[in-house]
Amino acid sequence: MESVNPIERALRGIAITLVILFFMFPIFWIILMSFQTNETILRMPPSMVFTPTLENYMALITGKLETSAGILEIAFMKNLFNSFFLSTASVAIGLVLGVPAAYAFARLKFKGSEDIAFTLLSFRFAPPLLVLLPLTIYFQQLGLANTYGGLIWVYQLIVLPLILWIVRGYFEDIPADVEYAYRIAGHSWGATFRKIALPLAGPGIAAAALLAFIFAWNNFVFALVLASADKQPVTVGALAFVTASGIQYGQIAAGIVLSIAPTFALALYAQRYLVEGLSLGAVKG
Amino acid sequence: MSKKEKQLAEAFIAGKIGRRELIKGMTALGVTTATAGVLVNAAATEALAQNGFDWKKHNGTSIKLLLNKHPYTDAMIANLENFKALTGMDVQYDVFPEDVYFDKVTAALSSGSSEYDAFMTGAYMTWTYGPAGWCDDLNEFIHDADKTNPDYNWEDVLEGVRKSCAWNGRPGGALGSDDAKQWCIPLAYEQNNLTYNKRIFDANGLAVPTNIDELMGTAAAAGAAIDGGYGIGVRGSRSWATIHPGFLSGYTNFGQVDLNVGADGKLTAAMNTDVSKDFHSKWVKMIQDSGAPDWSTHTWYQVGTDVGSGKSAMMFDADILGYFMNGPGNAEAGNLAFSAFKANPDAAAPTPNIWIWSMSMSSFSKQKDATWYFLQWVTGPEHDLFGAREMDLVNPARSSVWADEMFRNKLSNSYPGYVEMHDVSAPGASIKFTAQPLFFDLTTEWAATLQKMVANEVPVDEGLDMLAESVNKQLNEAGL
Repeated sequence: MESVNPIERALRGIAITLVILFFMFPIFWIILMSFQTNETILRMPPSMVFTPTLENYMALITGKLETSAGILEIAFMKNLFNSFFLSTASVAIGLVLGVPAAYAFARLKFKGSEDIAFTLLSFRFAPPLLVLLPLTIYFQQLGLANTYGGLIWVYQLIVLPLILWIVRGYFEDIPADVEYAYRIAGHSWGATFRKIALPLAGPGIAAAALLAFIFAWNNFVFALVLASADKQPVTVGALAFVTASGIQYGQIAAGIVLSIAPTFALALYAQRYLVEGLSLGAVKG
Repeated sequence: MSKKEKQLAEAFIAGKIGRRELIKGMTALGVTTATAGVLVNAAATEALAQNGFDWKKHNGTSIKLLLNKHPYTDAMIANLENFKALTGMDVQYDVFPEDVYFDKVTAALSSGSSEYDAFMTGAYMTWTYGPAGWCDDLNEFIHDADKTNPDYNWEDVLEGVRKSCAWNGRPGGALGSDDAKQWCIPLAYEQNNLTYNKRIFDANGLAVPTNIDELMGTAAAAGAAIDGGYGIGVRGSRSWATIHPGFLSGYTNFGQVDLNVGADGKLTAAMNTDVSKDFHSKWVKMIQDSGAPDWSTHTWYQVGTDVGSGKSAMMFDADILGYFMNGPGNAEAGNLAFSAFKANPDAAAPTPNIWIWSMSMSSFSKQKDATWYFLQWVTGPEHDLFGAREMDLVNPARSSVWADEMFRNKLSNSYPGYVEMHDVSAPGASIKFTAQPLFFDLTTEWAATLQKMVANEVPVDEGLDMLAESVNKQLNEAGL
């Protein structure tokens, strides 16, 4: 059995603690800020001793924000719902379209398959602003401007290539012989896909879905340009706390805590799949 | 509105009772001060309806606005029901945060979208929107007696502010010239003056500076007196917005301009004169000695937050930023005071550059006449007075509102020196930049040069010569 030098163990512990502190301190500080008023946040010098208040969270939940310029209406919870709805629906549709496509690209070598797959990937290369202006014009002509359906469609530019390429790599890692054996028993391609490939690719699909959800959640510009204020996600809505009459740091911090909570919880829950899915899908054996 | 409330509001409008009696009467009826303001404006709106103008002409029409999240917008929304009652029109609106607001405007206009009939804008932006055909010349509405109510009183809008929203589209063309197109109409505006912390000044025996040399000295003394703070806040980010507030206001006070307009109409850089170099040197030294340590990242928000929290002793920036920072929620609320500032001791008066939040009509609107009804109401004297008295529509753009005793008293009671500051500097307040299509690019480069000077990467003389050379090259390439 390998013995570990106590000094090495202590140094390793210190290094790990420092790394954790480095990465976790900003999050910890934001959580502290979310329980403070603007006045205590901005005092000099900064201090970790304060009387906690829930008024920031109350402002976000009730939609009434008190500022030096009076009471402002804010729609943060609506923004949060929009983010959740847009991201979930986009990923769901992305999975329905992307997983079978990924399987086809992994298993069926047909003419132009690589070109099509690369074209789909190239959607990720184009800066969103490059495509947004023509999209705006088309959306207006098609009646898709300012609709959830239109936004979910555009969000496929984010989620579809991601799902397709991650899941494709994972399908390619599953030994084809397992599927051939099932097919020799008289089952169709479709049945093989459903009964063999999908269950085996589960972790990869979960990882792809999670990543796609995070990317969709963080998107900012599509809804900003293509939709009205009532359909804006939390990434746009959070900016409402930066006003001409001052920055509402407490509400921003509370908004960050609320808006990262869903993705944070999802990431914690699916952490195992995320690491396993990404590492297995990325390495061809 | 009950009959008694209505009678009180009408008596106030008719000048039969004063504000004190009005509030006392409304309070007795269980009405809050804010609601009383709306009721008074409802009575004013009713009076407006009697001026012979056909306010119901577009009854049943719906228009949509694109608005920036701002106290001016809050004032507009708070009074919107009165407009709907006056005209029978419906008004929808989208409000976007300021950080992304102009991206939204640009996307909507450049795609030719007819979704929004009117939108909020800054006057500088119309130098792009107007010539591009995205917004309409509003002169054709303002001066059409069939479309504009007789009480609109366009001349009541402060001359410098009104003219700053008008440009003939020719690079270098004077703002407000006879052939200028009125691309937007002011809602309210900001002058750049001094906001100082009276508590810090009094505690350290500091006098309010009256020129650039005194400003440097006072900033240094104040900075030394504040533990962990600094003397003076001015903007410093790599953006056109660094140049336009205090910096340009002081620069212009020495008779300096950004560009020269030749006899042939060609533009050339004017920022490397001897006087300009001297002013730049003083400005740079002031920041180095007494500015924020992270000055190069400072925007509106940091400059305001620092003076509101007591981290800086004063700022040379928008007066309304000081107005907001003197309100509740700020550590120094009630401690801030205001003073008009002329950087040049030999100048007759301050020459503040201004920012104007204004309203424009989208060229893609399909109901322009109805939209004009809204625009003339929201920029008219009744709404301006309501916003100034009851909300935070400061600085109102109309001289009649500045003459209103109730508004002046409201300011004087809570914002020491604000009214006097405004009265002294308003005659010289206007946009001091030369209107031309490269405005944002050239001014951002100016800010970048300023950053290099403050960081001692380039001497002031050399930096300004290089800037002038670059500006001339770009103007030449653009055929300007």
